[in-house]
Amino acid sequence: MPTDTKRVRGPEVSQSPSLFSDKPADVVPSRGPRADGRQREQVDVRPVFVRCGPVSQAKGSAYIEAGDTKVMCCVYGPRETERKDETDMKCGRLTTDMRFAPFSCPERGSWIQGSQEKDLSLMLQESLQSAVCLHKYPRSQIEVNVMVLENSGSVLAHAVTCASLALADAGIEMYDLVLGCSIRQDGASYVVDPSYAEENSRSSGGGGNQGGLTVAFLPSLNQISGLQSDGEMTQETLTAGVRTCIEGCYKLYPVIQQALTKAVRKAAPPPSES
Amino acid sequence: MATVQVSEAEKVYILHGIRDDLRVDGRGCEDYRHMEIETDVVSNTDGSAKVTLGHTAVLVGIKAEIGKPRPMVPNEGYLEFFVDCSANATPEFEGRGGEELGTELSNTLYKVFNNKHSVDLKSLCISAGEHCWVLYVDVLLLQCDGNLYDAISVAVKAALFSTKIPRVHISADDEGGKEIELSDDPYDCMRLNVENVPCIVTLCKVGHRHVVDATLQEKACSVASLIISVTHKGTVTCTRKVGGGSLDPESIFEMTEAGKRVGKALHAPLMKLLQQEESLGQKRQKVGFLG
Repeated sequence: MPTDTKRVRGPEVSQSPSLFSDKPADVVPSRGPRADGRQREQVDVRPVFVRCGPVSQAKGSAYIEAGDTKVMCCVYGPRETERKDETDMKCGRLTTDMRFAPFSCPERGSWIQGSQEKDLSLMLQESLQSAVCLHKYPRSQIEVNVMVLENSGSVLAHAVTCASLALADAGIEMYDLVLGCSIRQDGASYVVDPSYAEENSRSSGGGGNQGGLTVAFLPSLNQISGLQSDGEMTQETLTAGVRTCIEGCYKLYPVIQQALTKAVRKAAPPPSES
Repeated sequence: MATVQVSEAEKVYILHGIRDDLRVDGRGCEDYRHMEIETDVVSNTDGSAKVTLGHTAVLVGIKAEIGKPRPMVPNEGYLEFFVDCSANATPEFEGRGGEELGTELSNTLYKVFNNKHSVDLKSLCISAGEHCWVLYVDVLLLQCDGNLYDAISVAVKAALFSTKIPRVHISADDEGGKEIELSDDPYDCMRLNVENVPCIVTLCKVGHRHVVDATLQEKACSVASLIISVTHKGTVTCTRKVGGGSLDPESIFEMTEAGKRVGKALHAPLMKLLQQEESLGQKRQKVGFLG
């Protein structure tokens, strides 16, 4: 059984006080306006705040804030690897590591097990690998470390965006930026960029069609580098959901580009006086 | 995953063949290899199944134990998955080599079953908040020749079908506490309804086309695959893109449609076969591992 051996947890019998509260967990209604004022059935992503280069020690870093979700990413590399595999001779290797801070979720590390973090790291790697020009870095290793400071929904999507920004900030050659977007399907309606409550609500009525979908997209090349869905949906819903996520990524693209150009301008030497 | 070295000429050969809907072993792009399924192969388990798909062999054993239900859902039991890539399969899996692949496979299985309808978890409840059945599904990879996801999902479905959970009876004992009694009759057991258990279909993108049930050589020619788990009604419970390449949105739509079609067509013959095997009862000739 997968267990988390890296964190110091309270004694086995300790439980979160929210389990003892009298009122039942709020079920997020699947109709009507969303809790934070955004619209259903529309590509209404949360406003995003992005900054490149907050961590001075890292080769490249980025910080993204979307609503209450806060994700920070650091990139180290390219570093030389010791492995003398034949594959390493021709192209570099990208390693990813995604971690949640213990205070990031409403319950302290309760449903977050080590194996779920490994799963998210693997998906992050698959999403980023197709965008990085690894053949330009033979015998090297590029490390991407993502830390989720606060999890308020669609954390994988924002981690993908943050990681690709950090890679760009580090000067790693890429074919395109990778942007992430996720939706949550609830009965007949969907919400884009769900918050934590919307992601985890288990509406009792929903007959079929309840699930979440995350897409990692390369906008200029029009390629999907990562796709992940769970819950149960019909294939038509899934197809429509992928299209919606792609639209969400296009909406995010100008903001990310702007942040990157601002960071480059700041780091560039001032124009010479001649 | 265990890999084979494929030369450039071989890659071109495979690519051209698939472009014309003809694979190296003569199959079409959406055909499966020869599949053999047998349930009830391990007597110490509550349910077990062995599936051989081409040269891939997977053994699943299910044990039912009584445990405490999860705090958020006190009136449901649950399933725990564990996939072990044994060193028998390939030498790469020796020691901790197979751990990464095993975690990936078990995480996918958790996602596939993470919905209300695949397995009726309420039927696994014994007494709300105190006792429930926990089904430990342990998957063992015996041989690895590509397409692990499909073989594992078929084996899990077959094993769940053959699972016999003993009936328990809650009675109040002398001090007012609850006592669990197992029924005396060894054949008095509860069976699970596996109609809605999904099957996973892996589609590999090779060139401009996709293939179902790729061998290791075909996998070496593809940059990305899509796994999609489909129930008998055509509902998709989990999709995932694996591999380091990227896919066009149009190919993804094409592949999901093909996956749904192939997956849906897999269920009816599978259920028929399982029911046929069950109906043979005692007269069934056990093939086991020597067949």
